[in-house]
Amino acid sequence: MFIKIIFSYLIGYIRIKVEGYYIERFINICKSNKITIWNLKRNKDICLYLNVRINEFKELRNVARKTKCKINIQNKKGIPFLLHRYKKRKIFIILLFIMVFFIWLSSNFVWNVDIREENGLEIENLAQDLENAGLKTGNLKFKINTKEIINKIRLQRNDVAWMGIELKGTNAIVKTVKANEKPEIIDESEYCSIISDKAGIITKINAQTGTANVKVGDTVKEGDALINGWMEGQFTGIRYVHAKGEIEAKVWHTKHKKFLYSTTEKEETGNVENKYEIKFNNFKINLYKKLSKFEIYDTIETENKIKIFSDFYLPISIVKKTNKELNEKQKNHTLEELKNIGILELQEELDKEIENKNSIVNRNINTHERRRWS
Amino acid sequence: MKKKNQNRIDKLLELPQEVYSNVPKIVITGFDEMIIENFKGILEYEEFFVQINTHIGIININGYNLTLENMTDDDIKVKGKIESIEIERTIDEN
Repeated sequence: MFIKIIFSYLIGYIRIKVEGYYIERFINICKSNKITIWNLKRNKDICLYLNVRINEFKELRNVARKTKCKINIQNKKGIPFLLHRYKKRKIFIILLFIMVFFIWLSSNFVWNVDIREENGLEIENLAQDLENAGLKTGNLKFKINTKEIINKIRLQRNDVAWMGIELKGTNAIVKTVKANEKPEIIDESEYCSIISDKAGIITKINAQTGTANVKVGDTVKEGDALINGWMEGQFTGIRYVHAKGEIEAKVWHTKHKKFLYSTTEKEETGNVENKYEIKFNNFKINLYKKLSKFEIYDTIETENKIKIFSDFYLPISIVKKTNKELNEKQKNHTLEELKNIGILELQEELDKEIENKNSIVNRNINTHERRRWS
Repeated sequence: MKKKNQNRIDKLLELPQEVYSNVPKIVITGFDEMIIENFKGILEYEEFFVQINTHIGIININGYNLTLENMTDDDIKVKGKIESIEIERTIDEN
C-alpha cells in the first residue's frame, strides 16, 4: 500500500470533500467501480474527505452525480501539479538547467590529484612530474591519457616500480610503489686504491688484492691511502689492480654542543582562534580580515577541498587557519641539569652514527663552563 | 458432501481459510488499528461508528475519530480510537 501511495504521488492525487446524504453508498460504488480511495475521514457533519488519483477523478465525479453528492476539491498534490506550478517560473527553470549543465561541465575536469604511496614511502617531486606529464588540476578528463602519463613518468624516473592512475569522478587517484634502490655494481676491471675517510689507529689490515700501505699500529689521517691499487712482481713489474681488502681501525667519534643557562621556551596557552578563507584555484577570499588578537602565535593551515560525493571534487577549497597562542617562558638551568641534558642529547646523536655499538672501546665526556658577561 | 471434501483437502494442505472462502479475516493491532479482509461493503460510516458488511455477517465498530485508510478491493483499514467491536451473524454456518 505504501508503494501505491508513492506511485499515486508520482501521477498526482487530490483531496476532495464530498457532501451528501448517501455517503456509504458513494463509498460502496467507488469500491465496486474499483476506484482507489484512501484516507477517508468523516467530519461530525455530513462531509467526507478522501484522496483520489487524478486519472480516476472523472469516474468519481460520475459516481457523485449518481448519489447526488457535492464534490469540492480541497488540495492538489503530486508531481504533475508541481510541474504545472513551475511552468510559469521560466527563469527558475532556466537557471536550474544552467546549474545542471555547469555541474555536468565541471564533472569533466580533474579537480584533485591524490597521490597514494604504497607503504608510506614518499617519492619526491612526483606531483611536479605528474603536472609536467599532463595530469594537472583543471585539465579535461577525456584528454588525459593515463597510459601515456604512466609511460612518461616511468621513463623519466627510475624510483617508480609501478604506477596506476584511476580517474574517479573529478578525483585522479595515483597509486605508486617505490622501487628499491639498485645496489651499486662494482666494476672490478677498473683499478683503484682504498683511501681512509676517517682518522684513526689501524688495528687490523688484510689486503686481498693490492699492496698494503700501512701497518698495524699506524695512525692515519683522512685521505691517506690504505691499500694501493698495484702489485709488484719480480718478473711482471708493476701491475695495476682493483684494490680489495679488510681494514679495522680505532676511530674517534666526537660531538660537541653549546648549552645556554637560560633558555626561552614556547608553551601553548590553549587559546585557539580560527580563520577561514575560500580559495578558487589561486584566487583567495579572506573571510576574516582582522589581525590576530594574540601577540605570539603559531599558524597552522589546513586545506579542505569541497566535494559533493565521495569523489566529486569541486575547484573550491576552504582554508582553515588556526592560530594557537604561545607563551614565552624563561627557564634557568643549573650546571648539573645542563650536563645531564647535554650528555643525553649527544649520546643519541652519536648512536645514530656508530653502526656496531658492541665494539666501543672508550667513552669520554668533557664539560666546561664559559661565562659570557654582557 | 462435495463441499465437505473440499474443506478436508484444504485443511490437509493447510491453506488459510480466508484465501479459498469468503470468510472475513479481522486483524486488530493495538487498540487503534484494525484490518478487515474479504469485506463486502460499508453500511454506515460516521466518525464514531462504522458498520462493515461481510459475507457472513456485519461488524460494528464503536469508537471515536475513526478514519478509513487504505480502502482496496477486498481489504479495509480502520484507524482511530476503537472502543468496542460487535458481530452480527446473518447466516448460520451449520
